[in-house]
Amino acid sequence: MTVNVSGAETQPAMLIELNYKSGKPVYLQLVDQVKAAVASGALAAGDPLPSIRPLAERLRVNRNTVAKAYEELESQGIIESLPGKGSFVRQPKSPLRKEIRHELLAREIDQSVVAAHHLQVSREDFLELVRERYEQFEQRRDSAQSIQKETR
Amino acid sequence: MSDPMPVVHVRNLHYAYDGSDAVRGLNLSVRRGGCHALFGRNGAGKTTTMKCLLNLLQPQEGEVRLFGLDPAVDEVAVKRRIAYVPDSPAFYPWMTVGETIDYLASFRPQWNDGKEKDLLRRFTLDPRKKVTSLSKGQRTQLALIGALCPEPELLVLDEPTSGLDPIVRREFIETVIGAYQEGGDGDRTILVSTHLISEFEGLIDEFTLLEGGREILTLGADAARERYRKVRARFARPASEIELPAGLHARCVGRELEVIVQGDESLLLRQLREQQPQALETEGLSLEEIFLVAAAPAAPEGALR
Repeated sequence: MTVNVSGAETQPAMLIELNYKSGKPVYLQLVDQVKAAVASGALAAGDPLPSIRPLAERLRVNRNTVAKAYEELESQGIIESLPGKGSFVRQPKSPLRKEIRHELLAREIDQSVVAAHHLQVSREDFLELVRERYEQFEQRRDSAQSIQKETR
Repeated sequence: MSDPMPVVHVRNLHYAYDGSDAVRGLNLSVRRGGCHALFGRNGAGKTTTMKCLLNLLQPQEGEVRLFGLDPAVDEVAVKRRIAYVPDSPAFYPWMTVGETIDYLASFRPQWNDGKEKDLLRRFTLDPRKKVTSLSKGQRTQLALIGALCPEPELLVLDEPTSGLDPIVRREFIETVIGAYQEGGDGDRTILVSTHLISEFEGLIDEFTLLEGGREILTLGADAARERYRKVRARFARPASEIELPAGLHARCVGRELEVIVQGDESLLLRQLREQQPQALETEGLSLEEIFLVAAAPAAPEGALR
């Protein structure tokens, strides 16, 4: 199911797609997609997220699933909730030291390395693919930013 | 799930209609704030169990507690905290929509008038209309208004959307999520029985599978989707020649093979990989597929299980 998510009419939209066959907890799918939207620039710092009720209704998921996802995003420092105002994307600012941030990322990379092995993707192809994906994200972020500048 | 006080607690429930057993030793526990689904084929005992909770039927054996109370003893105290939407809601035929709502509200210590107005508008129900002129969808919408306006702690839904058109079904689920769940700050509980599993999938966070009047499986929805996996492989030779780990049954069609695995599929994947598949993929199962796997009668050798 795909739902177009945006906190207000003038804000850039973000698509949320839930897959009940992915074996991944639903709230984590929400967390990861909001994080991806922030990384790609679809959501910028200061952008509002929809409030829990309309998002839960539109996705037709349990209200508590959305609440849990927002709590997780807040504890990871991705969004902040202002009482009476709603939830907003925060300026990326990790409170963790660089070594710890690297270590956390290394765990994620390890999973991809394992997957690459089983899919018989070579080291060179793997590294090339990482570069490609990274550049794609940068491009999307740049174009999202330039669109935002034009509309402001 | 060892909540000290679950909202619904059923132990060793028995109920028989004229000597034919409908529920035979059922256990059930529903925690506060969750949406618990009852899955099962027709005749598995879902409706009988719900009617025992609502004190519409009296258990012949076993224990039923709602909020720690016995609904047969503390009937009034229990009923003011719950609401029920059945498969085919019944109203007094001489009443209008507005009169029906007033009648339902007269039994309730609290009634949210704002919610009543919102929902009447949302469903475009005319209070002056006779209930006999309502469609099946509109009758269900009226029953939902009657169930949500008293702000119950527990909402019991028995096949609430069967026989309704897709738009009414979608609106029903959205209303339960928005108008009902939102009000309680995360502690409103839903017990739903449905065959339309995929439509309720996002709402359900725990389910119990009933068979022959007993529970055969209770699992969290995320845990279930994590546990059941479907592995598909294609080989250069007929799939029926492929050796599988003991105890696993595959469905073989030509050179393709499909196995449902519970838990860790890595052993199976390793074994399949050794036999040089041309394609090998793993996929999760939706709740409906899990129901089909778990509720299927014991399959003969070689059949999908």
